[in-house]
Amino acid sequence: GHDVQVVDPDVRGYVYGLVTALGGFNGEDADRYVLGDDALACLRDIKRWLKLYDEKNNRMDVARCLGEANLINGDILPILGLWWATGQKSKHMTRISLACLELLVPLTWPVEFHSQMTVNHHRHTPYIQQTQVQYKRGILKYGGSNLLRAIIRIALPSMVTARSEREARDEGILKLMLYFLRNIAIISPNTRLAAEGEEEETSRSATINAFHDQDAFALLLTMCSNVGEDFNLQDIILMEIIFHIVKGVNVEKLFMDDDQRKVKRTDELSELLKKENSVRREYAKNAPTRHGRFGTMIWVKRDDAKVSTVSGQDVLRDDQTTLHKMDQTKKWNKPKPRRKQDDAIQNSNFNMPAHLNSEATKNLRTFVEEFLDSGFNPLFTHVRKAIEREAERVLDINTRQFFYTVGWFLEAERVRRAWQSRQRAAQSAGRTKDIEPDSYGLVAGVLNQETFISLNRAMQTSLDNKEWQDLNAQMRCFTQVLLTVQEMAMSPLEEDQEIAENIQNRIFYEETTHDRILAIVRGYKDQGFGYLDACTELAHVFLRMLERYSKDNADMQIRSRRKAKRTQKKADKGIEDGANDDEERDSEDEDEVEAAQVTKERSFDFKRFAAKFCNQSCVDTFVTFTGFYKELNSEQLKRAHRYFYRIAFKQEMTTLLFRVDIISLFYRMIKGPGPMDSSKSVFKEWEELVRQIIRRMIKKLDQRPALITEMLFSKINSTVYYLEFGHEKQTSYQS
Amino acid sequence: GDSALGLGLDEEVKVTKQRQPVAKLDESRLLSQAGIPKLRQSARRKLKFKGKGHEFSDAARLLNFYQLWLDDLYPRAKFVDGLAMIEKLGHSKRIQVMRREWIDEEKPRPFDSSE
Repeated sequence: GHDVQVVDPDVRGYVYGLVTALGGFNGEDADRYVLGDDALACLRDIKRWLKLYDEKNNRMDVARCLGEANLINGDILPILGLWWATGQKSKHMTRISLACLELLVPLTWPVEFHSQMTVNHHRHTPYIQQTQVQYKRGILKYGGSNLLRAIIRIALPSMVTARSEREARDEGILKLMLYFLRNIAIISPNTRLAAEGEEEETSRSATINAFHDQDAFALLLTMCSNVGEDFNLQDIILMEIIFHIVKGVNVEKLFMDDDQRKVKRTDELSELLKKENSVRREYAKNAPTRHGRFGTMIWVKRDDAKVSTVSGQDVLRDDQTTLHKMDQTKKWNKPKPRRKQDDAIQNSNFNMPAHLNSEATKNLRTFVEEFLDSGFNPLFTHVRKAIEREAERVLDINTRQFFYTVGWFLEAERVRRAWQSRQRAAQSAGRTKDIEPDSYGLVAGVLNQETFISLNRAMQTSLDNKEWQDLNAQMRCFTQVLLTVQEMAMSPLEEDQEIAENIQNRIFYEETTHDRILAIVRGYKDQGFGYLDACTELAHVFLRMLERYSKDNADMQIRSRRKAKRTQKKADKGIEDGANDDEERDSEDEDEVEAAQVTKERSFDFKRFAAKFCNQSCVDTFVTFTGFYKELNSEQLKRAHRYFYRIAFKQEMTTLLFRVDIISLFYRMIKGPGPMDSSKSVFKEWEELVRQIIRRMIKKLDQRPALITEMLFSKINSTVYYLEFGHEKQTSYQS
Repeated sequence: GDSALGLGLDEEVKVTKQRQPVAKLDESRLLSQAGIPKLRQSARRKLKFKGKGHEFSDAARLLNFYQLWLDDLYPRAKFVDGLAMIEKLGHSKRIQVMRREWIDEEKPRPFDSSE
């Protein structure tokens, strides 16, 4: 019963009539779906309604009615089942099945909250999202029949036709089938809505297993490896499907033996238990030893004969807890600005980790390996070209998906190689048999100059236009490229080494690349944790590789593009200092000078480059990152540790860390409340680092009493040198 | 109501109570006697460190010192929030000039200060 008519009753009437006329389960033989006399016409009419009412008026009424009338699960799926079981030879049934597919695609099309929504959209979107999950559940698990396989079957005749002989209709059918697979891959239970039924049935694992069991993966592999030849127009959509399958999947866990994974999982469990234990211990340390109404109250003596009162027995323990409690009882919180959420969340939420069960892990791993072996190069080369050409089928979102997916598979290839060599070592235990090392040819399609150029250009554009999620994907991709190249350089194959050398030379040759990395790290301002993670990782990997490379190649040259010297011009102008006309002409000249950039080669000085990361904004970025220390893993904690170590002891700029909030964070990480897990090895490293930093700080406070006020603020460039070294900089150059 | 007299006697007088303005942690508060001057004085008087081997207890002493000072200066804010607010103030022109002055005070050679 609807109290409010959300849909025009006439429309509802028509649509319901059509659905009823489509067919139904016969009364005598209740298991059998019987088609209505004019089923095909009904299907076409429904399609027309969707097109001419919903699409044309930008409404979602018909889609909602169809959801309420249970069209998909009640009619379409049984009809497709019928076709799969008995009707494949019949031309009429084949036509009907195609009409079903034509309805399935628009009805499973992802709906999202976006900025241009009407009232009508707001009304229907949650309902439709909910029903789409039900559609997916039905499609993945309809009775005993294979609906995915049935739908692939519909497109098979068009697939086997050679590309030259394919008609527009065939291409259309292929497109429908692929979009259908993509929609199925995208749909996932909305976390904001209450789940109905088993969530596991529509999870990523369920999708992957269905794709594997019903040969959707086989289809994808065939099409990907023939993308240049037989399937020209399908490249983007194929990549999209793969993106939605792999997004957020942890590569490390994918390439583990069952035993390893079991061990890993047990480790994780015991780690979690330990974590919980330590939380409990932490609480027990401060927990009251008597009942809640015992009513202790203490005075904290302050200056000027003032006192503060704090209640509770726990505060008797020591000053730290007392002061902590004093702070915690304050009610006011500084308002925090909230960042606006990105529009298309569902389409690109690769920051959310996806968990797979062991069967899905195995299936996905098989697919990933086969894809790397045959489909990777053809698909991604083709997609890159399409993106560069700005082909009509390419949407903005596809660029982001491209870079993320490339990065993901590069990581997968690296992890797979490590996995394989582990396995080989285990098999030939003891015997050191010579095994032909594989080359990196399998991923060479993205390790070429063209890809680097487009990656660099894309990063610059995203940075300039503040498209953070795009930049996030590109940073992850770039990091993976760097890591792959690093491993190639260590390959036993001479050819690989040479290529790696070449690539590194190219990557590190452009000074603009160096400056961009710096600008990204400096420019972090609440873009979210995923972005923070990506940009700190990139900076970490880039700096370390560059350091090693410039050490090995002492005479490394870089191409630096600089604006022509303007200071000189200005000085000249100062002498003339003429009338208005002159000035105008001068400013014109200046513009020209500005446009002309001087390009020259100069030798690279790593120390000077690393010094550029030594500034307050970079420090702030890493401090924000470290602030998540309770959720960070060892690798991430190490990354932050190395950075601060570099600041404090390699570049001798500890002063940048002498800020009360930073010291307070470091102190909390080691001594609590809520410290790091002290059983981890990285804890020891951190403890030592913090100890050293504090020691220097105490010493400095003695030497320079002004630091007591400066501890409150970010340092000003002109005073930071004095605070560190006790005298002014000798030279006048500014870095 | 008989408001024909037009004296407006019957009309209610609207009294909009001015909301008590919330004290702000701003430049002048930070520079007032309870602010930085007090911080500098009491640091000189009270802050004593044990030095090598006692890094963490020294750090705790320092942090507590700042917390109590901030609690006196602006009791409303939690420690972390207060620190963030002060840090932000440090970017303003006025405070920057003052900061420079505090540093210059302790510099040994006056002829260096010309820039």
